[in-house]
Amino acid sequence: MDTPSSQLAEKIMQRLTEEKLFRPEDQKKLLERIADGSIKQEDWRLAIELALGKEGGK
Amino acid sequence: MIIPALKMLRIEHLRGSVIPFSLPFEKGKKLTIVYGENGTGKTTICDAMEFLSKGKIGSLEDRGLGQKPDRYWPSVGKVHADISVSLDAGATSCTAKIHKGSVVVVPAEQKPKVEVLRRSQILRLLEAQPSKRYAEISRFIDITGVEASEAALNKLISNLTSNRDTAVAVVDANLTAIQQFWETAGKPGKGPISWAEVEEDRDYSSLVTDAKNLSGLRAAYQRLQDYPQKYEKTISALEKAQDDKQAAVNQLEAALSTASAGAGELVGILEAASPYLAKHPHIENCPLCESAERVADLHNNVVQRLKQFTALQAAQKAVTDRAKDVQMIEAQVLTLQADLASDSKKFEGSRLETVFPAEVELPGWEAPEKLDEIAQWLNETTNFPAAWLKCEAAWGEQSKFVDTLVKALTTYRNNVVTQKELDALLPKLQRAHEILIEERQNFTDGILKTISGEVGRLYEAVHPGEGLNKISLELEEGKRASLEVGASFAGKDKAPPQAYFSQSHLDTLGLCVFLALALLDDPENTILVLDDVLASVDEPHVDRLIEMLYAEADKFRHCIITTHYRPWKHKFRWGWLKNGQCHFVELTKWTLVGGLQHIHSTPDIERLRKLLDEVPPDPQLVCAKAGVILEATLTFLVELYECHLPKRASGLYTIGELLPAIDKKLRQELKVVVTAGSDAMGNKTTSTVELAPILDELIRIAQVRNVFGAHFNELSFELLEDDASEFGSQVLTLTEAIADQENGWPRKVKNGSYWANSNETRCLYPLKRPA
Repeated sequence: MDTPSSQLAEKIMQRLTEEKLFRPEDQKKLLERIADGSIKQEDWRLAIELALGKEGGK
Repeated sequence: MIIPALKMLRIEHLRGSVIPFSLPFEKGKKLTIVYGENGTGKTTICDAMEFLSKGKIGSLEDRGLGQKPDRYWPSVGKVHADISVSLDAGATSCTAKIHKGSVVVVPAEQKPKVEVLRRSQILRLLEAQPSKRYAEISRFIDITGVEASEAALNKLISNLTSNRDTAVAVVDANLTAIQQFWETAGKPGKGPISWAEVEEDRDYSSLVTDAKNLSGLRAAYQRLQDYPQKYEKTISALEKAQDDKQAAVNQLEAALSTASAGAGELVGILEAASPYLAKHPHIENCPLCESAERVADLHNNVVQRLKQFTALQAAQKAVTDRAKDVQMIEAQVLTLQADLASDSKKFEGSRLETVFPAEVELPGWEAPEKLDEIAQWLNETTNFPAAWLKCEAAWGEQSKFVDTLVKALTTYRNNVVTQKELDALLPKLQRAHEILIEERQNFTDGILKTISGEVGRLYEAVHPGEGLNKISLELEEGKRASLEVGASFAGKDKAPPQAYFSQSHLDTLGLCVFLALALLDDPENTILVLDDVLASVDEPHVDRLIEMLYAEADKFRHCIITTHYRPWKHKFRWGWLKNGQCHFVELTKWTLVGGLQHIHSTPDIERLRKLLDEVPPDPQLVCAKAGVILEATLTFLVELYECHLPKRASGLYTIGELLPAIDKKLRQELKVVVTAGSDAMGNKTTSTVELAPILDELIRIAQVRNVFGAHFNELSFELLEDDASEFGSQVLTLTEAIADQENGWPRKVKNGSYWANSNETRCLYPLKRPA
């Protein structure tokens, strides 16, 4: 069974992707790290900058 | 995945199981009620399930048995190694034993998930400290991983906000500096930044080159400045040396005049001869006159004579030395002259071959190469070096200013870029943070709402309409891992139930909390064990509690409820409960020799059926059992339709009183729609049973109950035994028409028109007794 953190991380990831704050292709690799708390400041920044870059490129 | 149903629990030498005890589970029944008086071994069954699943026995904890209550796990006279608990489920089986001090289940993957609630633990969550309460629900709500991720994002936002503030401050500071430079420069161009950009693009490298060249020219000039002093000093030295030489000559002449004529030449001859004679001490003739006379001591004589001419020698040496001095200084003058010529050429080279900016003034005539002319030239050009130095300083200042301006402009630009990047990034990060907070709060609120909703639903089932079902679970604000429980009481929301609820209500609430948590945690895989949890619950709540437990038990893999609540046993006997859902086990008295023992309880209707099936049936036993069942059935009908009976303190009535109480009008309308099953299409198949013929027949033959079943009576000798069987059959028909052993009696009003039991397998008409 998924842990509460995993369940919550999935909901968060879905919202972040819907609002184009995360790229869909980054979901998988970051989901577990958000769930287990291993995501660092620089990871957050990079993920959102990549999403910004992609959005800007459209 | 199909989860196998429980088949058999075997307990060996664990606590009360002094001899091996087996509890078979009835096929198709997910609820097992274990009834027994105190001390019959109910808790041992619960202990066995906990031992198997959790490797411990909670009933012995917190009872003052010290740090090692496990020493009391084995039955009397047994040791840990003797303990064995096995559970068969479907085709699988697992066994728990103690190995090296630990409970080991083999095979481990078959170990069942069990949740045990004991009477002593029922208030565990309600009376615990908020942090302990949180621990109880943490498996549903523990999101520390996401919280750490949220903290990292929050820290990033904080750091970047600080970076942005710094960038804004740096932009402002550098803009102010450039503005000041611009104003100092007279506000040229369109504005300070565009002006600074023009200045940045301008080539200021010549400033450095010109300053370097001018510095070189100034150094060359400084070298020339040394010559007059050096020249003067050298000339003075030469003049002195010449004077000294002349004095030495004068002194020599004076010495010669005092000496014999030709003394000077003589000294010369003697000085030449002395080393010769020293080298040839045995000459035979004088080397000068070739005389042999006085030759033997010639050298000694020469030395003696030279001593007589010392003063003259000194004068001659002084003249020689002074002449050398003059020559040396004259050579220095020549060297100085050559150096001057060289340095002058260098200066001129620098002056003539370098293109200096127009503001640099230069001597209009060339530097002299002669020593006696340089002093005058220097006098005439004495103001130039200061002017050159001024130029160099001005150029240095300008170069420094440009450097500062360019640095300010670069810093300004870099920080504008940083600020713009962060202005774009920070709102996105903040939005992401908002999403995390929203989702976290929604998640935890949702879980707590689900739990409290479940608790409320269960609680309302037991205490309907009491308005106590608004249970709230809230995380304490500002505290980590801390849970508050509240309930609605007398219009007051979030009141701590411990402060306002009766013990009975608190017990029910504690049970509901436990059930709600168990229901949320994979119930299909969970064996629920409730150990004597009904003790303090009062009538009529206990009936509703039992109903609720029947309903909820179906959601678990299996539910084992132990109880010493006697009415439960009797309600089961009389088929007042949904017996079809339940496997009822009764434990008999425990003994040190026999250990746990159980009997299988059989409802009275089944007993009657078995008595009627006997060949031949025993009329006395049939009538006795049928009479009791008929009393129960008639009592049910009389109470349901509020039939008229004389008021009696004891509340006990005979069949002779109960049967007529169901008057003719009611009898004519009494009918039961019986659902027998389903057809091939899945539609219910029903039949209607009119009760009037049965009741009329019972009125006719009711006396056989007393004659056969209640007393020794000679009259029974005269009656047909078939009447006894008929009485029993009619009672069985009547009771089975009204009640369903699996779904109970029709006690609920349905659609405002009839009474129905669970699943509506029996629908009793009419709803009201006809006037």
